[in-house]
Order: sequence, then C-alpha cells, then structure tokens
Amino acid sequence: MQARLQYRADFLTGIVGVIVLNVVNLSLIGILVSRFRHLNGWTLWEMVFLYCLWILGHSLFSFFFWHIRTLEDFLVQGTFDQFLIRPASPFVLFLGHEVQYLGIADATFGISGLSLAYASLGLHWNGMQWLLFGAAILAGTLIETTLSLMIACLAFWTGRSRRAHSILMRINMMVQHYPVDMFGYVFRVIVTGLIPVAFMNYYPALILLGKLEPQSPWAWLGYMSPVVAAALVILSAIVWHVALQHYSSSGG
Amino acid sequence: MKIFWAFARQAFQFISAYRFNFFMEFILVLLRMYGIYWVWRVLYTQRPGAFGVDLDQMVTYGVMGMALELFIWSRPQWYMANQVKSGAIDTDLMKPMDFHLYMLARSVGEVLIGIAILALPALLVAYLFLDVQFPPDLWTGLMFAASLVLGFLLLFHLNFLLGSLSVVALDIRHISWAYFSMVRFLGGQIVPLWLFPSFLRALAEVLPVKGTYYIPISIYIGRLTGSEAIRAIEFQLVWLAALVLLSRMLWGWAYRRLVVQGG
Repeated sequence: MQARLQYRADFLTGIVGVIVLNVVNLSLIGILVSRFRHLNGWTLWEMVFLYCLWILGHSLFSFFFWHIRTLEDFLVQGTFDQFLIRPASPFVLFLGHEVQYLGIADATFGISGLSLAYASLGLHWNGMQWLLFGAAILAGTLIETTLSLMIACLAFWTGRSRRAHSILMRINMMVQHYPVDMFGYVFRVIVTGLIPVAFMNYYPALILLGKLEPQSPWAWLGYMSPVVAAALVILSAIVWHVALQHYSSSGG
Repeated sequence: MKIFWAFARQAFQFISAYRFNFFMEFILVLLRMYGIYWVWRVLYTQRPGAFGVDLDQMVTYGVMGMALELFIWSRPQWYMANQVKSGAIDTDLMKPMDFHLYMLARSVGEVLIGIAILALPALLVAYLFLDVQFPPDLWTGLMFAASLVLGFLLLFHLNFLLGSLSVVALDIRHISWAYFSMVRFLGGQIVPLWLFPSFLRALAEVLPVKGTYYIPISIYIGRLTGSEAIRAIEFQLVWLAALVLLSRMLWGWAYRRLVVQGG
C-alpha cells in the first residue's frame, strides 16, 4: 500500500513538473513576444504552435522511447546480455521493457496548446494539411528516437553516452523555443543538415502556418520531415547493427 | 581546510576523467552563445529601444548567462537523493567532515573545473567573435567577482535544501525539472529581470534566485552600478545568511530522521 502511494506521489510530482516546465518556457517566450511584438515575424500564437508541435512529437518519444538513454547503464553493468539470450530481437526487447507515463503530460499540454493556437490563428486546414500535420508529428517522434538511439550507441564504444544525450536535448530545446530563422547561418545548417531537429517543428510549421508560399524555392523543405525521418531510421538501424557486432559483454 | 581541498580535488579528477564529454560540452556552450547572440541581434533590429540597454551589453548578458550554465551542473541534491536511496549516505556521514561542508566542497570542485576548462575558454572565443565586452573598470570587475561567488553560494544552498528534503520526504527527480526551470527563469539566466512584465518582476525581485544570474551579470555589464550594485550585493548577503541558517536547521532535522531510521 505504501509503495502504491509512493508511486502515486511520483506520478503527481512528475505531471506537475512537466507542466511547470512548459508553462515557464512559454512564459519566457511570452515575455519576449510582448516586449518585441513578434519574434522575427512569429506572433505569440505562432510561437505556441511551434512549441507545441515539437512537444507532440516529443511526447510519443518520451512515452515509448525515453529509456533509450539508459542503454549505457545496461552496458556498464553487463545486464545488456539479458536482451541477447532471449529468442527475440534485442532491439525490440530493449525498447519494449518500459514505458514512461510522463509522455501523457506532454501530449496533453501539446494538444491543448495546439488547439488554442489553431483557434486563435483562425486556421482552416484541408485534408492535405491535416495529413502533413500527422506526418510531422510521427516524423518528429522518429527523428528524436533515432537520434537518441544513435547517441546511445556511442556507449558501445565509449562506455558513456548520457552527457552526449543531454547535449542533444539542449540543442533540441533551442529549436523548440525559438524559430530557427532567428539563429545565425551556422546554427541553421547544423539543425537542418547535421542534427536535423528543425524538421520536428520548424519546417512543417512554415507550411502549416502558411508562412511560406507553396511556390517558394524552400517550400519543399516543409514536406521533407517524413523523408528525413525515414533516412534516419535506416541510418540508425545500421548504427545499431554495427554496434551489436562490436559489443562484447563487460564480463558480468 | 585541508580536507576541504582534498574533496574538491577528488571532484576535479572525477570530471576530468570524461574528456570527450567536456569537448562536446564546449562545442555546445559555443553553439548556445552563438544562438543567443543572434536572438538578441534579431530582436534589436526589430525594436532597438526595447532592451533598455545597448546591443553589446545585451549580447554580453546573454553570453555570460550561457557561460554560467555550469552553475546548474553541480547538483548536490541529486547526489544526496541517490545516496539516501541506495543507503550509501552512511559512508558519507562517517567521513571526518561536516556533511554540509563536504557537499559544498564537492560543488566548489565541480564549478571550479567547469570555469577553468569550459567557461573561460568559451568566453575567450566569444570575446573574439561575438562582441562580448569586458567590465568597464576594475572596481566593477571586483564587484562582479564577489557577486558571482555569492551567487554560486546562494544556488548551492537552495540545492542543498532540496537535497535535505529528499532525505525525509520524496523523490525529487521530477521536482528538480520544475525547480531548475524556475531557477533559470526567475534567476534571469537568459532574459534579464528588467524585461519582465511588472507583476512577474515584482515576484522575481524578492526571491533569492535572482542573485544567481541576474545580479552578477547585471553588475558585469554595468546595468547595476554604484549604490545599486552595493545594495544588490547586500541583498545576496542577507539571503545567503538566511539560507545557510535554514540549511543547517533542515539538515540537522533530516539527519536525526536518518539516524532514527537506521541509515
């Protein structure tokens, strides 16, 4: 009974933590928008949209795949072997061993924010745009998952990867908090080409919010999220297999 | 004092064992400095008057805030929570040193190494490429240094209070997210307090976290000068005294609970 209660407290503090975090982030954005009227052409509700589109993709990641970052613990302690000796793919076993309920808080926050933004901006999407919206969320989840997995795989060689993970997350946060066009050229190149987190929210949002005319020379980038996600899935599958080949148990 | 440095050195060695991570951190700090530099530049062209200070000051504020991210690295409360959970806290308590000072020594070690191998090199790069300024004169520089030390001590004691709570009550992992986002926000790490709307500003002005980022950096860029700066440092001192007292009391209480529970 006491254990149950403890879990419930854990659940509640978790939900409250996630909500406070997001409210604080949005307040910062709100302060800047109220002071400068817009952020490089992005109004308050467009910023909310950008932020919440990222959160929605992230919520699925955090619900199903959050524990990817714990891979290093399994490697260091030698408990990874348990996934290798069972008659199923070690990948499925590793990913399936846990879900993280906090994704629900993210999803709730994201859906509320997006609904408010959709109403306030007076958007009316056609079927094609709804399709793009759905694809963008799933692509966002896949992009974050595959990047996270590839970084976790570093641990097969270096033994440690958690710090690299927190670095990925903090670059990710910058993309979530500000439109990418506010940053300098170097940063834009990095989050488009090298660590393509801008495809989680920024590029699809350009199309969904009608900030880019469909004829514009860069409009195609807005539709590229699923392609980027697919490429990353293939790449991370290769990395995972190479890493497994390289794996030798820590002798546990 | 000798023991204090020994523990500080231990933390130093621990962190320097992970050199690859530090290289990555260095790149990230530069990237974030570059990011904030552009954010302020873009906003400045939008409405030049809205900052209340000039662009160079604002950029310096942002870059310093990023460099001092390492204040938040040192997380004694996580260490304490883990030690309590695993029961290893009893070995810490057996060490021939006051536990509060022991935690402080660890944090000092972590932050000093962070400043030496991360913040200073990154600031040097920022100085060369991002129009970051030096403090206008030596006196300002000295006040900044004093205020920075106080800022670190303030944050350490807030962390320590949270860590003491973890002994008695609860899993603080989730609370920590909210806590750190509040420290960043109300501490003015990215957006300085003078840009806040009035009701939020009134709140942030009385809380101790503004001593972590807002006061030292504002002194550095010359936004708080003369008697204002002195008053700000007094504000830090008063809060620090209160927090030290509170930490001793809360830890003493938590410690007795620990002993009763049998470690």
